[in-house]
Amino acid sequence: MIRKEAVEIIGNYVGKNPIISANGFMSRDLFEVNDKKSNFYMIGSMGLASSIGLGIALKNPKKQVFVFDGDGNILMNLGSLVTIGSLKPKNLIHVVFDNNSHESTGGQPTNSSQIDLEKIAEAVNYKIFLVQSKTKLISILKNIKKLQGPIFLLVKISTSKERSKRVSWTPKTIRDRVMKSL
Amino acid sequence: MNEEVQRKIFHYLKNKKIENFVGVPDSTLKYFIDECLKNDNIIITTREEEAIGIATGMTLSKSNSLVFMQNAGFANSISTITSLVELYEIPLIFLIGWRGYLSDDAPEHLKIGKIQPKLLKIIGLKSQILTEQNWKVKCDWALNQIKEKKPCALIIRRMFHD
Repeated sequence: MIRKEAVEIIGNYVGKNPIISANGFMSRDLFEVNDKKSNFYMIGSMGLASSIGLGIALKNPKKQVFVFDGDGNILMNLGSLVTIGSLKPKNLIHVVFDNNSHESTGGQPTNSSQIDLEKIAEAVNYKIFLVQSKTKLISILKNIKKLQGPIFLLVKISTSKERSKRVSWTPKTIRDRVMKSL
Repeated sequence: MNEEVQRKIFHYLKNKKIENFVGVPDSTLKYFIDECLKNDNIIITTREEEAIGIATGMTLSKSNSLVFMQNAGFANSISTITSLVELYEIPLIFLIGWRGYLSDDAPEHLKIGKIQPKLLKIIGLKSQILTEQNWKVKCDWALNQIKEKKPCALIIRRMFHD
């Protein structure tokens, strides 16, 4: 499964709930397969998608808030896991698409292949799920709705040469669309 | 800045609909932060950029937020401020304790302390210095800035040694 396929599967499940997507190819894939007003495409500030997602989750307890993170992104802000695990937002679903690489900058390796990201998340109070196949991803998504968060969904993906187009909305438009949707 | 004024600033901003106080502690701001703690209205984060991210999410949810930090943390956060807060025009108030304002402050603060006003100016983040005399006027200025959807900074100088 490549990131774009996984993004499409989860994006369809999310409905009108907000998604905060990490910078680089993550936001580009989401924009291409499932552009919605409730998507916050983070185009800079690498590492902060989960923090923005936490802020939105705390203020919108009736919505399920999805973070679409990458392994390189979350490794830049591991402290965020501690803050999320301490505040325990029930409505936060933190998805990490893990290809063991900084794909957006040319495929250089991250150290996510050397450690267990999901164990870090488990140690800080997340409910954790690890998936490698589309079938398992779909079945877990069906169950997640009933669970209390914070939920950490680690989706193992393979790298790909496929490139999605850049997000064409201006940052201010992204801001205004998201604010209206919340 | 004295204890009484720092505590008053928290309540003044809270009464003017600043709903969230997020950041990393700083000794220059310790009474302000203590007042946030006493009122159970604070999120202490692991790094300043994280605080900016959380406050951005809250502000997108139409809940006004202040991010507090020391100027060392401000220097850490410059790329986040330019590529998130300024790029998307997220109306946040930064409250920054200015170490290295005194030229004989601790050595680790001197270099950033000396260029603190220049850093703010170069990245285009409008700022005002809060004092025990002018704090109400400057808080009103900041509240007006965010009403116009502009981020801004309030600075408290470190005027003492410990």
